[in-house]
Amino acid sequence: MSAHTSTESRADPTQSRSRQLIVRIAALRAWLFLALLLIFFETWSRVSYGQTFLFSSYNAQSIAIFAVAPLLLALGSTFVIISGGIDLSVGFIMGLAAVIAAHATNLAGQSLPPFAAMLVGITAGLVVALGPGFVNGVLISKLKVPPFIGTLGMFGVARGVAFLLAGGTTVPVSNSWFAALGNGRVFGFPIIVIITVLFVLLMHYVLSQTRFGQHTYAIGANEQAAIRSGINVPRHIRRLYLLSALCAGLGGVLYAARFTAGAAQAGEPLLLDSIAAVVIGGASLFGGSGTILGTVAGALVIAVIQYGLVFINVEPFWQFVAVGVVIIISVLVDQTQRKLGGDRQ
Amino acid sequence: MKKVAKALAALAVGVSVLAGTVAAQAQDKKFTIALIPGLTTDGFYITMRRGAEAAAKAVGAELVFQGAPEFNPVLQVPVLDAIIARKPDAILIAPTDKVQLVEPLKKAHAAGIPVITVDTFIGTGNYQTGAGDADFPLSYIASDNVLGGRMAARALAKAIGEKGKVYVSNVKPGISTTDQREEGFKAEMKNFPGIEVLETQFNDNDSNKAASQMQSVFARNSDLAGVFGANLFSALGAANGVQQAGQTGKVRVVAFDAPPSIVDNLKTGLVDIAIAQHPAEIGFFGVMSAFAHLTGQSIPTAIGTGFTVMDKDNVAKPEIAQFIYTD
Amino acid sequence: MSVQSQPQSQEPILDVRSVSKRFGGVEALKDVSMSLYPGEVVALAGDNGAGKSTLIKTISGVHGADGGEIRFAGEAVHFASPEAARAHGIETIYQDLALADNLSIGANIFLGREPMKRVLGFIPVLDRPAMAKAAKETMARLDFHVNRLDAPVGRFSGGQRQAVAIGRAIYWNARVLIMDEPTAALGVPEQRKVVSLIQNLKAQGRAIIFISHNLQDIFAVADRIVVLRRGTLAGERKISETNPDEIVKLMVGG
Ligand SMILES: Nc1ncnc2c1ncn2[C@@H]1O[C@H](COP(=O)(O)OP(=O)(O)OP(=O)(O)O)[C@@H](O)[C@H]1O
Ligand SMILES: [Mg+2]
Repeated sequence: MSAHTSTESRADPTQSRSRQLIVRIAALRAWLFLALLLIFFETWSRVSYGQTFLFSSYNAQSIAIFAVAPLLLALGSTFVIISGGIDLSVGFIMGLAAVIAAHATNLAGQSLPPFAAMLVGITAGLVVALGPGFVNGVLISKLKVPPFIGTLGMFGVARGVAFLLAGGTTVPVSNSWFAALGNGRVFGFPIIVIITVLFVLLMHYVLSQTRFGQHTYAIGANEQAAIRSGINVPRHIRRLYLLSALCAGLGGVLYAARFTAGAAQAGEPLLLDSIAAVVIGGASLFGGSGTILGTVAGALVIAVIQYGLVFINVEPFWQFVAVGVVIIISVLVDQTQRKLGGDRQ
Repeated sequence: MKKVAKALAALAVGVSVLAGTVAAQAQDKKFTIALIPGLTTDGFYITMRRGAEAAAKAVGAELVFQGAPEFNPVLQVPVLDAIIARKPDAILIAPTDKVQLVEPLKKAHAAGIPVITVDTFIGTGNYQTGAGDADFPLSYIASDNVLGGRMAARALAKAIGEKGKVYVSNVKPGISTTDQREEGFKAEMKNFPGIEVLETQFNDNDSNKAASQMQSVFARNSDLAGVFGANLFSALGAANGVQQAGQTGKVRVVAFDAPPSIVDNLKTGLVDIAIAQHPAEIGFFGVMSAFAHLTGQSIPTAIGTGFTVMDKDNVAKPEIAQFIYTD
Repeated sequence: MSVQSQPQSQEPILDVRSVSKRFGGVEALKDVSMSLYPGEVVALAGDNGAGKSTLIKTISGVHGADGGEIRFAGEAVHFASPEAARAHGIETIYQDLALADNLSIGANIFLGREPMKRVLGFIPVLDRPAMAKAAKETMARLDFHVNRLDAPVGRFSGGQRQAVAIGRAIYWNARVLIMDEPTAALGVPEQRKVVSLIQNLKAQGRAIIFISHNLQDIFAVADRIVVLRRGTLAGERKISETNPDEIVKLMVGG
């Protein structure tokens, strides 16, 4: 325990500079992937078409808009996954929120001016989304149902309710404000992208700068330790699933605004992409690690691959292959990094 | 096509005669006909059910409507098994997979229950040929999706002045109906030398992805003139992509299918043209064919139902609006 | 039957009376009593599975007792959670250390009680510099010098992690310190450090419960020794009036 024994110890983090460098790079791997992808597409675009890929604001905006929905789901999942859980219900919570927001906006529009009706719709979508999140939290924290099972059950319930409420079809919204929210621009930036950026900053703050975030990491690393440190772990878990549902709800509301319709299956195809974004972003499905900025990079990686491959006109099936390869590389990098003793926040 | 239409007319006449003459007989023996949709929560199948119920009422049969909430063979087969156990007089089914539903449906066939497939098919869709092991269903009743694709192509070609680039926004390969729509669309477009059909984009039924693909295709093809969305989500996604790219009215969007929300989309100009199937007709002819078979008539092995082309100008007319699917 | 090691005029800081605890069919504690006075080190000894850890977890609020009473500074207390015990000034070093391996030393010391500061005057954020400073000072007290205070503790060796767990407990200036085998993972020089640390803390007037299988350590630091056997109190001796042989006899029975 003296200064000497500690610096000579095998596991000392200050041991090897090169090793430390590898660990640092691995932590930033999602951004590295993103940079490599952008360089690849930029080069291809310039060589083959004589035009820029990255520096076209049209492309940048298209990719950003594309990333909004999966990223919103992924933000909540980042918290849940860091805590060692998983939330499979987010896709259908998103669909539910989209349907509710559409219905509520229409209903309120009968007696309120459009702007107020939109606010009612947004609030209703977000509040209703919290319902399944609350049940998830109670199932997992009080009844000790494993997250995988509990949220899978809620996936079914939320889907059923969303389909029932939607009556088996999409629910069109006619509200000019709502449509402007989904498709409008402020200073040239799509509003939904601005909202998402602000939300990302908020989530980054919560995860990295607050006790809530700190406790999320602690629970993911060692739940017993968290309990014995006096953290109210069941309450914390309930809040995590509420947060995850809120993110999905926001995704659903913005979906309804953008497509001027709520659809029960809106989020279904996004679940896997959102979890992939979290994993590519550096989180471990075993819990304890991950960051919001990593997740942002992960979501952008997926969006850039999918957009870029269409852009350079590659056979569509390669998109699946490409995303799959990135996930596998990402997990391999993670494993290597762990082997090198690079556990980190 | 003509053959099918003739068969259809003959059947309609035959059935209407039958419905009159065997009404008395039908009272002694009330037939139970089961309809298993691809999924229960979709407006298309709900409308199909309405048509089937109308036919059942006309001939005094009982209609059982049971299905899974999702278009998935794993969920559909247990429903089918349960229906077989109840021994209905005939089964109408929209099989959720060409191959995976063959064995489960054989059980019905073995139990002596006549099988008719609606909307989708098993095997090749050519029945009663004596070839292969999936030819046992009596009939395949569906929209002629190749024709639907052709109609979409014609409508789009007209809208864009028969020149420019277009592409198909599709779900994923391997779905018989959407594959046929794409096939018909591309075949018809060959008749328009001024139009170039770009590579098809598959979106996995994700409108977010369909929108992004449209934006990406447009980034490379600023002379893009139109998109054909082979199903609703493909079309809505592509339409949003057009909107995000600021090309509404310049890049034309054709949507396949006509749920109630399509009216709004046509009015706001988000979607320019919608191709409505006639699911109620499919359900109606399904029950009628089953009834005809059960009362000893022979029925055609394939019946193709028609389409209605909708746009902003005609969608308000009652004779067009009747083909919008119900909730 | 309580044997006191010091001429005590004061009342015990901690008084455990006839506590029982069962896990399903296992009776981990049967009617166990012990007391602890300020400035006193009581060693808790017994075979594997004797119930030592269970007893201290019952005191520290991890387990609720099934029967009996715990009094702290003269008042009956029911610690519903570890936080309640910590709020009373009872800090515990658990046998399994209970560290969050992905967090830094500072974050572990402050886990559940993180200091906050405000940026721009209104946004509350974790005060990481304060945590790092406290970590550095605390580790220095243990003669454990780390260069990278932001490194997660999972990267440290077993002995270093043990030091972190000890540091976390002593940081809070607790009135009662419970140490469940704190020297188990340590080399001989480090064991000596911990023993001298315990002597230091005792001199400061802290009350300490010290669990160990090492009788040499026990005889070096403890004032009294409480021996458990299969969940029951096998005996209690003043260190000055007993010897290792007698303790071993108490532990194994007969
Ligand atoms: N959470 C638990 N659930 C069930 N049984 C438990 C639990 N904790 C302890 N036990 C049982 O209670 C008994 C006492 O265990 P305890 O951990 O208190 O022993 P110990 O004296 O600390 O042993 P060691 O010296 O090995 O640490 C054992 O039989 C153990 O299996
Ligand atoms: Mg123990």
